[in-house]
Amino acid sequence: MLEAEGISRYFGGVKAVDGVDLKIEAGSITGLIGPNGAGKTTFVNILTGYVRPQAGRIRLEGNDITGRSPHEMASLGVARTFQTIRLFRDMTVLENVQAGMHLRRPDDLLAHLLPLPALRGEARRAAAEARELLRRVGLNPEVVGAARASQLSYGDQRRVEIARALALQPKLLVLDEPVAGMNPSEKGRMRDLIARLPDHGVTVLMIEHDMRLVMGVCDHIAVLNFGRRIASGTPAEIGANPEVITAYLGADSERTARPAGTSLGTSSLLKVTDLDVSYGGVQAVAQASFEVGEGELVALIGPNGAGKTTILNTLSGLLRPDRGSIEFAGHAITGAPSHRIVRSGLIHVPEGREVLARQTVRENLELGAFTRRDRHAIRAQVDELLTRFPILRERASLPAGQLSGGEQQILAIARGLMARPRLLLLDEPSLGLAPLMVDQVFRIIDEIRTDGTTVLLVEQNARRALQAADRAYVLESGRVVLSGSGAELLEDPRVRATYLGA
Amino acid sequence: MDFFVQLFTDPASFYSGHELLIAQMGVNSLLAISIFVTLYAGQLTLAQVGFMAIGAYTSVILNIDARLPLAVGAVAGSLLAAVAALIIGLPVLRLRGIFLAIATLGFGEAFRFGVLLNLPITGEGQGLTNTGADIEGGIVPVWISVVILTYLIFCLTRSRTGRAWAAMREDEAAAASQGINVVAMKMAAFLLGALIAGYAGALDAHLSFFVDPTEYATPRAVGVLIFAVVGGTGFVLGPVVGAIFLTALPEILRFAADYRDAVNGLILLLIIIFRPQGLVSRGGLAIIRPRWWPLARS
Repeated sequence: MLEAEGISRYFGGVKAVDGVDLKIEAGSITGLIGPNGAGKTTFVNILTGYVRPQAGRIRLEGNDITGRSPHEMASLGVARTFQTIRLFRDMTVLENVQAGMHLRRPDDLLAHLLPLPALRGEARRAAAEARELLRRVGLNPEVVGAARASQLSYGDQRRVEIARALALQPKLLVLDEPVAGMNPSEKGRMRDLIARLPDHGVTVLMIEHDMRLVMGVCDHIAVLNFGRRIASGTPAEIGANPEVITAYLGADSERTARPAGTSLGTSSLLKVTDLDVSYGGVQAVAQASFEVGEGELVALIGPNGAGKTTILNTLSGLLRPDRGSIEFAGHAITGAPSHRIVRSGLIHVPEGREVLARQTVRENLELGAFTRRDRHAIRAQVDELLTRFPILRERASLPAGQLSGGEQQILAIARGLMARPRLLLLDEPSLGLAPLMVDQVFRIIDEIRTDGTTVLLVEQNARRALQAADRAYVLESGRVVLSGSGAELLEDPRVRATYLGA
Repeated sequence: MDFFVQLFTDPASFYSGHELLIAQMGVNSLLAISIFVTLYAGQLTLAQVGFMAIGAYTSVILNIDARLPLAVGAVAGSLLAAVAALIIGLPVLRLRGIFLAIATLGFGEAFRFGVLLNLPITGEGQGLTNTGADIEGGIVPVWISVVILTYLIFCLTRSRTGRAWAAMREDEAAAASQGINVVAMKMAAFLLGALIAGYAGALDAHLSFFVDPTEYATPRAVGVLIFAVVGGTGFVLGPVVGAIFLTALPEILRFAADYRDAVNGLILLLIIIFRPQGLVSRGGLAIIRPRWWPLARS
């Protein structure tokens, strides 16, 4: 029913989507998977008109619809949901669903101007239909219908978003990470809902990181990596495809893991006990407990939405935990303000790098020493870091925004080192990086550990993280489900299950 | 306090003593409704005073030079304002938020300097003498217009178009994914706002014997926005209440003498702090809206 051919889109020289073909059969459920930064959302944004392709054709039931605007795509029968929920927050749930009927409903200004009963029927029918749609996605309209959309739980908001999309009576429904941030029982209900959609004549294209869901409901799966389609086939074929396993668990380099049995050092630098964190109505972390010993490199791995970044943000004071305690270097830092935590030597290198794009590389590094007052030592350390990372020395007076993604990542790590951390938190340092750059970043992480800095690493690239780590914890839906030495976990079939749903 | 004492004890002489004030409350209500329409669609535009000037000059020139009645001048003035909105809307509505506000404010100033202060037909900055002015006769048409437009716009916000505007205001990308043509809908709100502002300008010009170009400057443009913000932008009665209240406020505060402006500013500040949603909000709406009204709650 939908055919995309050779779709390409570049963002400032980066090939976000590079010649991707995709064929969607009517009445099927197609999964689109791939690591972070693979171009899945860009591809879906092209299909729904939010991003224009620079090359390629899209045909819907044989008609060329390339480059149409979002509202035209909607009128042609392509509905979508968004990765970050985009409900009309101040409208009621029923009003949200009725917004999806915009194209089908007549202009009813006259019915409002003249209070005649005869003119009210259309509005009543629309409201009844909206209630029916809410029931179909598993919500009780009598309970939630009149509530503001923003008052609903995260999982229910996703359902409302799907009901709103179904109100368009679409031919194709595009779901961007429908179960992201959901707990296992919510995931189960969402899975049932998606599986039933083709019975109502709706074809589904779904981006999802939860492999159990993808493997369970999809008829067909396409895999993107670095903007290219690297595989396509049935769930069974995809599950057995070595290239896909590599794309998900990371490139298998020749390096071996640290010797097994490296256990927690004599003194514990960071001790987290029974941590509960929630935000936006979602419990992101539940009863997480773990420890990082002095001088250790500990990895937190787990699928998207498992709560890894939330944990790092809580450790560095950006989020406040609901319950639990965090002890750093013998002091309780639970709920302490960020600037005080930074002063105590716990430094966070956030996901997405967050270098200051308009400041030079040198200025970015100097900012990393903001809490220090020893000017001569700072200058010496900037020089030392520039020597250690020659890439940065060559670009010391360039604005950081002009650096490539990998160079920015190295700058972000170097900036973290400027604060002389006792514990360095690294969030997804290999995110969106080309394989060669990934190697280089992991070499740097290894050096930092060898120099005696304790590191807590969060990574999607589980294999690389486990190879580098002394110990690791596996998170799933906000809980620690496994822990052990890097080498043990690397061999553990359950780790593979967490990632590929196999 | 004389203001209220007279209002309640001797309404007849209050009316005859405050004719201009009452008429101006009405005109300002129309301007507030005009900016409300664009705000309801999520567009922060400050071009209202420019459109108002177009309406004012058009109707006065038609009245003096062609001896055409106010009704014709008002229609011609509002249509001309809408034409101007169509021309500047195409490029300007691509902007968002503060950039849109600055660009529309720029339009108002450019119009004032380019047209009002320069062309022979507008008096080259000397203003126009309006021999046809009629304050007493202006009050009734102005207030009838306020009532009708408030009702019309209220119905419009409840209709398909209004629902699309409300959706866009909350999230443009999500609105587009429901098939709402965001560009066309923005333009519709901008045109309707210009139409109303042009109409208000025509009525306003006929309340005074002299059309003064310095009236149509930035302070007035910001003043119109303040009417709407203080009154509340979720419901059309809000801007009307805001305009009436803020137009009357300096008069009410006459007793404060030299401190009038300071007290005026203080009251504004207190309202913004304690009623950030405006004087009339969704909660207040429930009291005003009768239960039997059709489609009020679908």
